[in-house]
Amino acid sequence: MHEMLNDPIDVTVAFIDNRVLVRAMRWNEREYKIDHVNLVHTAREGAKRVFYFSVSDAANCFKLKLDPEFLEWRLVELYTDG
Amino acid sequence: MDNTARIILHIDMNSYFASVEQQANPFLRGKPIGITGKSQERSIVATASIEAKRLGVKTAMSTWEAKKVCPPIILYPGDPEKYSDIMHRFNAIYESFTPNVEPFSVDESFLDITEEAEDYFGATCMAQAIRSRLREELGEHITASIGIAPNKLMAKLASETVKPNGLTVVRPHEVLNLLDRCELNDLCGIGSRIKERLNALGISNFKQLREFPLKNLKAEFHSYGAWLHEAAWGREIASLPTVARNDSNQPKSYGHSYTLPQNTSDPRVLKHYLFGLADKVGWRMRRDGVTARRVTAFVRFGDFTSHGEQRTFHEPTADGIRLFQMAWNILKPICLLDVRLIGLSTSLLCHGSTQPSLFKKERNMTSILSALDKLQSRYGSGVWKRGATLQAEFKSRSSGFHFDHEI
Repeated sequence: MHEMLNDPIDVTVAFIDNRVLVRAMRWNEREYKIDHVNLVHTAREGAKRVFYFSVSDAANCFKLKLDPEFLEWRLVELYTDG
Repeated sequence: MDNTARIILHIDMNSYFASVEQQANPFLRGKPIGITGKSQERSIVATASIEAKRLGVKTAMSTWEAKKVCPPIILYPGDPEKYSDIMHRFNAIYESFTPNVEPFSVDESFLDITEEAEDYFGATCMAQAIRSRLREELGEHITASIGIAPNKLMAKLASETVKPNGLTVVRPHEVLNLLDRCELNDLCGIGSRIKERLNALGISNFKQLREFPLKNLKAEFHSYGAWLHEAAWGREIASLPTVARNDSNQPKSYGHSYTLPQNTSDPRVLKHYLFGLADKVGWRMRRDGVTARRVTAFVRFGDFTSHGEQRTFHEPTADGIRLFQMAWNILKPICLLDVRLIGLSTSLLCHGSTQPSLFKKERNMTSILSALDKLQSRYGSGVWKRGATLQAEFKSRSSGFHFDHEI
């Protein structure tokens, strides 16, 4: 199932070798451990550039948006297998 | 430099949009998927994954037909911003190998590596190195087929012989052998109609095309006959230096179309969308420094019949209002039935600046457009909108409307 969302989330990341590695996220009062960062891309939103992280755990694929100006993370897409 | 001594790389990303989505989402990997427009019911498959292609799904197939041909297909809405960003990243990788990169489409580029590679062994090593960088920086599921040959025409043909993830080297003395293994319409520049005309002349392969008198080819196809003759010998007329845009690879037209959320014959709704499309076309023309003297407006009706007409201006323009007015004059009398898709395109392009208008109001509008263009160049599409188009909602996913086309 593919859902479009725009929910604020808490994210734990590691900064390694100039890369941002998403380790875990908290959404809807539930903690998700992230297994893979599959793709990172950027997009322009007015004057600023925002980052999108396509990450996954064993059952879900999440698209996370990072606004670098406000350091705000949002869950913008959820794809659940099956 | 002698054109036969050039070494050209053609890199074609395999099932590009689908591969990017499979890279982003591991649950789509290994499955037949089709990248569609914003509304899956009223859309086409813009790109089918390698798995879907194996099951018979073809590019530009309607979604209902794709479902019929391949019931397990997963239809997935496209994300043009993502594909644009990845396109810039793979072209940046290419530019780290050679400054002579010529993007050919959103997922294909030519690289002139004559000086950097020196010979075909060097070219093969460079192709492998590019492939490694693509895998490291974009991911292992975004793959490319690479062709190496003495010109762009043959490099493109070479890259298409092995898919996906192929690497095909065609040295100058192997060009005719490659051509003789291909169908006429495998070559970029020979479509199904040209193939039919060639067949009618008794030409069904490249060997026969080579042997056909050039004089007769020119009589049938005019200057294109000379191109066909050279192509049959694996040569490219005016093998062009890459990078710099010149007359032969300048756009010949600009256009946009949009499949409406629902079929309608309401002129207010149609005008809103047409105006939005005209502004988009106008902005792309002004960005590229061109004006047009011809507008073609077209619609597709609910029964999938189409209608289109064109009009020519006295004075060339790139102003969205004038493009819209001309297009609406064409469509107004024919939009009496339910319209499914609406669009316009411009042609007879003129390059360079136009003469300023004698009228102050028009000069003011030109200044305003210039200021708005600067804003749009800096902040992207959607930074401004005319009040008259506020009610036209162009869906953000896949339509391409929100994506500043650069190729």
